[in-house]
Amino acid sequence: MMAANNYFGFTHGGTQYGAATASAAYGGQTGYAVAPAATAATYGTQRAAATGYDTAYQAAAATQAAHAHAHAAAAAASAYDASKSAYYQQAAAAYPAAPPQPQPTYDATAKPAYSTPATYAQGARGSGGAKAAYGSVYSAPAPAASYPSQPYSAPAQPAKPLYNAATMYVAQQNKTGGGGGGGRSGWKNYNKSGVGAGLGRRPKPPPKAQQLHYCDVCRISCAGPQTYKEHLEGQKHKKKEAAVKLAAAGGGGGGARACGASALRCELCDVTCTGADAYAAHVRGIKHQKVVKLHTMLGKPIPSTEPVKLQPAKKTVAGAPKIAFVASGGLSTVGCSADCPPGDKEDEREDDADAEPEVQPVGQDYIEEIRGDDGKALSFNCKLCDCKFNDPNAKEMHMKGRRHRLQYKKKVQPDLEVKVKPSMHQRKLAEAKAQRMLVRDELWARRRMHDGVEEDDRVYWEGADWWRGPHHHHHHAMGMGYGPVGRRPETSDDRHVLAKHADIYPPEQQLQDIQRAVSHTEKALKSLSDALADQGKLKGQPAKVAAKVDDKKEEKPEGKEDGRDNQLFSFVGEGEAAPSGSPATPGPGTAGARALKGVMRVGLLAKGLLLRGDRDVRLVVLCHDRPTVTLLKRVAADLPHHLSRVKGSSEEPKYKVELLPAEGAVSVSDGSVNVLVSLTSAIMREPAEGGDIKRDDKDVLPRQKCLDALAALRHAKWFQARAASLQSCVIIIRIMRDLCRRIPNWTPLNPYAMELLVSGVMQSAGGALSPGEALRRVMEAAAGGLLLDHGPGLRDPCEKDLVDALGNLPPQKREDLTASAQQFLRQIAFRQIHKVLDMEPLPKVKHAAGNWKFPRKRRRSNTDQDPDTPNGDNKVVKKEDNSE
Amino acid sequence: MVRGAGRGGRGMPGRGGMGRPPFSRPRVLMLRPPFDLILAEPAFPRCKPAPDDSALTQALLKRHTELCPTPTEQAAVLSLITKLQTVLDNLVVAPGDFAACQLEEVRQVGSYKKGTMMAGKNVADIVVIMKTLPTKEAVEGLSNKVNEELNKLMRAEGLSPVTCASHERGFTVTAAAAVRVLVTTLHQNLRKLEPEVHLDYKVISSHLAAIRHSRWFEENAHHSSIKVLIRLLRDMCARHAGLEPLTPWMIDLLAHHCIMNNPARQALPINVAFRRALSLLAGGLFLPGCAGLPDPCEAAHSRAHTALDLVAQDHAAATAQTLLRVVARGGHRYVLGLQAFEGGKDISTEITVWDGVVVSPLAPAYSDTPEPMDTDDKDEEGTQDGVAA
Repeated sequence: MMAANNYFGFTHGGTQYGAATASAAYGGQTGYAVAPAATAATYGTQRAAATGYDTAYQAAAATQAAHAHAHAAAAAASAYDASKSAYYQQAAAAYPAAPPQPQPTYDATAKPAYSTPATYAQGARGSGGAKAAYGSVYSAPAPAASYPSQPYSAPAQPAKPLYNAATMYVAQQNKTGGGGGGGRSGWKNYNKSGVGAGLGRRPKPPPKAQQLHYCDVCRISCAGPQTYKEHLEGQKHKKKEAAVKLAAAGGGGGGARACGASALRCELCDVTCTGADAYAAHVRGIKHQKVVKLHTMLGKPIPSTEPVKLQPAKKTVAGAPKIAFVASGGLSTVGCSADCPPGDKEDEREDDADAEPEVQPVGQDYIEEIRGDDGKALSFNCKLCDCKFNDPNAKEMHMKGRRHRLQYKKKVQPDLEVKVKPSMHQRKLAEAKAQRMLVRDELWARRRMHDGVEEDDRVYWEGADWWRGPHHHHHHAMGMGYGPVGRRPETSDDRHVLAKHADIYPPEQQLQDIQRAVSHTEKALKSLSDALADQGKLKGQPAKVAAKVDDKKEEKPEGKEDGRDNQLFSFVGEGEAAPSGSPATPGPGTAGARALKGVMRVGLLAKGLLLRGDRDVRLVVLCHDRPTVTLLKRVAADLPHHLSRVKGSSEEPKYKVELLPAEGAVSVSDGSVNVLVSLTSAIMREPAEGGDIKRDDKDVLPRQKCLDALAALRHAKWFQARAASLQSCVIIIRIMRDLCRRIPNWTPLNPYAMELLVSGVMQSAGGALSPGEALRRVMEAAAGGLLLDHGPGLRDPCEKDLVDALGNLPPQKREDLTASAQQFLRQIAFRQIHKVLDMEPLPKVKHAAGNWKFPRKRRRSNTDQDPDTPNGDNKVVKKEDNSE
Repeated sequence: MVRGAGRGGRGMPGRGGMGRPPFSRPRVLMLRPPFDLILAEPAFPRCKPAPDDSALTQALLKRHTELCPTPTEQAAVLSLITKLQTVLDNLVVAPGDFAACQLEEVRQVGSYKKGTMMAGKNVADIVVIMKTLPTKEAVEGLSNKVNEELNKLMRAEGLSPVTCASHERGFTVTAAAAVRVLVTTLHQNLRKLEPEVHLDYKVISSHLAAIRHSRWFEENAHHSSIKVLIRLLRDMCARHAGLEPLTPWMIDLLAHHCIMNNPARQALPINVAFRRALSLLAGGLFLPGCAGLPDPCEAAHSRAHTALDLVAQDHAAATAQTLLRVVARGGHRYVLGLQAFEGGKDISTEITVWDGVVVSPLAPAYSDTPEPMDTDDKDEEGTQDGVAA
């Protein structure tokens, strides 16, 4: 591309330079004035020349892609332009010859053209400047008017820039041939560093008296050589120069500017305006006026104030002839407009009028006036766009402007229509998207901030599934989608409750001790019962008893003959069974029944609520008739003998039997475990109902004690039937037992009431509760005033009448109990369950990196790590309680 | 268990206004509702005669009459809000040269709309939905326009002029009564809001929520018992520091729950419902880790009480717990405000003695410095080890 460019450029450059050497006349500004006329006059030939170039161009560009056309066109144009400027100066001497035989001519002229650069250098001081000058305006008004119908009239516009090829008139005149080498290098550097070339020459001061220092790149005049020099060294100039050079190199200078369809251009100042308003403002502006003045002074042609329209690049490929005139060799952005015939141009204007309807200024309210002391508006500040203007016109324009409208759309009226620049479309979309994302992020961030809680914590406090781990995990896991979690993993509360439970659960040794003592006692009691039966009625036979034992063995393969299943251990053999059939509810009418019908574990033992350190267990022996002191004494007296028989030869436990007539019981103790054996009978309840009182019998054991024993029997049965089956219930009752033992406020709550409370709470939950939840729910119930005076009370399900299991708990106790539960509840809610449970807080669950994704796995590994976690214990407990 | 399930965010298309970022989507609400004696009735059958609650009922009804706004107040508010509605409706239909903003819709919300206005607080609320974004200038412009138009009407009727004062939620029109005009915008505009240009996002969305709330209320909570209970609870909350952070919306939901949410689905007597409200609050309804009351006007699983911060939740629960015990000891006259307690002291923070029973307030459970175990959800190995060691 550049090769072509250079090729054409040099070709005509050659002709031009030939002329340039001769153009000493140029030094005089007077000669200048006639130039436009010359342009007009020479148009005829121009056209011919153009044709020639066209062919040349076509030949050159034949194989090139459409995009390349622009460059080629630019190159051709620059060539053309160059030649044209030569035209003016030389009265078009060279031209007639060149066009007719385009291709050959170029070949022929190429060399000469190259040979002349020295001259050129003379003429064009600072090649960078020269190049830039090409892009400038020369005689805009002329063409449109003169050649309205001609396709080539448009080229007149490119012609304008050409003219300014000569940069420094002062320098032009003064230059001597000495700069030949320099000039060459300047040309060579043309594409690389025109600036450098310019710099190389700068040291030479312009000696002549021509005191107008005009920089063609920047279109300013400098007061003196010094300032001019400074200007040339200045950043601004260099920037501009570089930009122009870039435009030249890129060829499509207009494209680089990314102007919209409606961009207007002031040729004089080389300024592109985004709209008619902006253009108008520019023309009115001081800068433009200065340039106009300067140009007038210099005698340079002043282009019309009519704005030059920049066309979208696609138009440049409209037709071959036009392309010849395109775009000033990338020397200026004007190029685009070059190919636009005047007729088209008119259309364009109309199009523009259509495309850019008069926009209503919006957002007047958001522009505040900053007034000076005299009340006069000094400047305006647009709050939407955060910008300031000093000029009311600028303000007006700003309000119509796209940027402002976009801001307005964004911040005030979302449905406002803002025209989207086609060329910018993609970028706009991307920007808008990014902006949206930004805003959204911001919103979320803000909202999260407002929550006032750390995200991590929020996960907990706001609830949902805080057990799943830290918040940022959610981020990672977003795309994965959680499968439905089959079982709830443990919460921190659960872990605490279970840990505490494991702590208070009695050790295996203690359980075995108790088990053994109870078992021995039960067996001894049976043995005693058998003995009593044999002795008293001589009815039962040992063989039968043995058969009974066999029956039992079926249920318990290990052959333990006791009440381990926590059901009534009946002493009654098959044959002597009561007519009712149920040994548990022996009727009074059972004839010839044993005195001791059976024994049952009650209380903690039966319920499985033993805690670490518990030593006292209870058995209840059901008697056939009212238990009497005599019977009790008999039992107390005979039991040691039977105990020692039962326990066999081993001397290990030494049982001590104690008679407790006031309790209606005997106590069997092996030193560490105390087994309280109460005697009672079902018929103890009946007198109250039937009114058949046999109080006269002084021998009968205390009635209340017997009733308590019966109640304990029922409670144990109730517990096994109702409470034990509720998930977490036994655990929580154990925990609560511990709580009641520890905390004075809770001590007044009797164990049975507590069991009723917990089981009721569990039952009402309507679903399985994890231990942590269960404990919290119990506290909620108590905190909510369930135990207060106006509450419903705890109905005893083991009584026919409405009996409040709480009994007459004094109001102050109820109050304290409730207050304590309320405090506990809030402590649980705020993750201080360890305070409630009186334990050390547990460390957090460690989950190895990556494990968090699979809560199930984590859970499993967790239980694996701690085989003695309460979960395991829980199973053990269940087995202890219910199996066998 | 999952009580909020199935309750879609009515009137909340998309997640434009949802308070939840998308990463909370896969969450499943696993929290359970608190213990509620009314619902747990089968598990806890009454086994002793119900206490005579007529004193409490009388006190509640008496207090309620005191809390109802007087006809004069109501008339004043009605007159003002009618005019304001007219003016705003005109702006919606025919904005004319009014360009500060475009109005989409105007709706009455809040206690006036719900019929739960309290005596002495005759401030009605009206929400204005803007089509344009609610910049401060737009609010100012609307305020001026409303002021101008309203004063025309007032002059026509020979009434004293109104004043409009802008604030961060919109503006308030004040005459004999007051109407708060709450500004909001369309859902789709919510994400375009910028903090420095527009009204605050939270404010805007709370106004949208207010519309949903009043609609929900209209449909579900029109029972007068609910309104009575709302007035009583609002009054109670206003007079006890710990309960003050409860928003009217929470109280609405709580009152609705207490009156209507029972096995029979019949409105409960006011005394039972009042006790129930206290009991639920005391039982941790509004504590973290509790399902609380699902917000029917937000996306599923959102809970009404999470708007409270943790300190407030703790404090509210503790206050309700103390009040519950005070009421249980017969102190309802103080709790309801029929009788000032020792020169206006907050009874929920004082130790009181009732028939020899000492009722003492409770200490807060929440501490700002998190316990070491609170690091449960954080991935700080160091902390872990420290704790473990």
